[in-house]
Amino acid sequence: MAENEGDKWGVAHVHASFNNTLITVTDQTGAETIAKSSGGAVVKQNRDEASPYAAMQMAETVAEEVLAAGIEGVHVRVRGPGGNLQKSPGPGAQATIRALARAGLEIGRIEDVTPIPHDGSRAPKGKSGY
Amino acid sequence: MRVAVTGTPGTGKTTATERLETDLDVVHLNEAVREHDLYEDVDEGRGSVIVDLEAASEWLGDRDDVVVESHLAHHLDVDRVVVLRCHPEDLEERLRERGDESEASIVENAESEALDVILSEAVDEHGIESVYEIDATDRSPDAVAAEIDAVVRGEREPSAGTVSFIEYL
Ligand SMILES: Nc1ncnc2c1ncn2[C@@H]1O[C@H](COP(=O)(O)OP(=O)(O)O)[C@@H](O)[C@H]1O
Ligand SMILES: [Mg+2]
Repeated sequence: MAENEGDKWGVAHVHASFNNTLITVTDQTGAETIAKSSGGAVVKQNRDEASPYAAMQMAETVAEEVLAAGIEGVHVRVRGPGGNLQKSPGPGAQATIRALARAGLEIGRIEDVTPIPHDGSRAPKGKSGY
Repeated sequence: MRVAVTGTPGTGKTTATERLETDLDVVHLNEAVREHDLYEDVDEGRGSVIVDLEAASEWLGDRDDVVVESHLAHHLDVDRVVVLRCHPEDLEERLRERGDESEASIVENAESEALDVILSEAVDEHGIESVYEIDATDRSPDAVAAEIDAVVRGEREPSAGTVSFIEYL
């Protein structure tokens, strides 16, 4: 392993909502944005078929930019139900992560940091698959 | 007919359902959770009780002809699910004004709203044909109540994914 391995890894922040997915790749500290893309425009126009296509397109562009910046792998932080729930039509986090890997990036830790709606009460975790 | 009115805290569920004209009984689930200890654990960090959904469902029993209002109502066995939506920035303002939540909770709720967390759960659990999304941003409580009444009467088409707040993030 290279001594400066830290410099060769970034963090892919995947925001997966009901019908959109955003990817932002930053350095390990989160301070510097290396690449960024949104799949919403493609998906909204062609909801039934475009999802895997949108995810792949986004991931390819992002991976290219990230590799060009000298990053070899990313840890992934997923936020949003589009990452896990089956019926959300957005490209989704899982498809996005697979596409990043296919485009040549190493995938490290995958963490789910989906927010939990709450007031004085909240639902048990895992209720809806995350 | 059982109707759930759900949505991120602050979208205006309690306010709107207090103004419904329907003959159905309106159940404010938060009150029942408090009064009957319908929870299984406590989330200290968030200052929330973790609701025991089975206990809540048993407490509701086989009551029909109810509107159940709560951000957890879509986890119950219901016929129709109304999901109230509100732009995350307006939602933050509403919650700050209401004044019973920490700043961290307000931000987490706004992010939940931006990511369509509750809408996605509702569609996942009940199917898109049973979900009625209502954007309550810039609308009066009475206007929101009238639209919920329309859902209850069967005069509104199902809808989901009609708003996008992801730019907020
Ligand atoms: N349609 C609306 N427009 C503006 N403010 C609203 C509206 N509905 C509710 N509010 C305000 O927003 C806050 C949250 O409303 P509330 O009904 O308590 O939400 P919920 O029950 O969904 O958590 C309250 O302070 C309320 O007065
Ligand atoms: Mg309420």
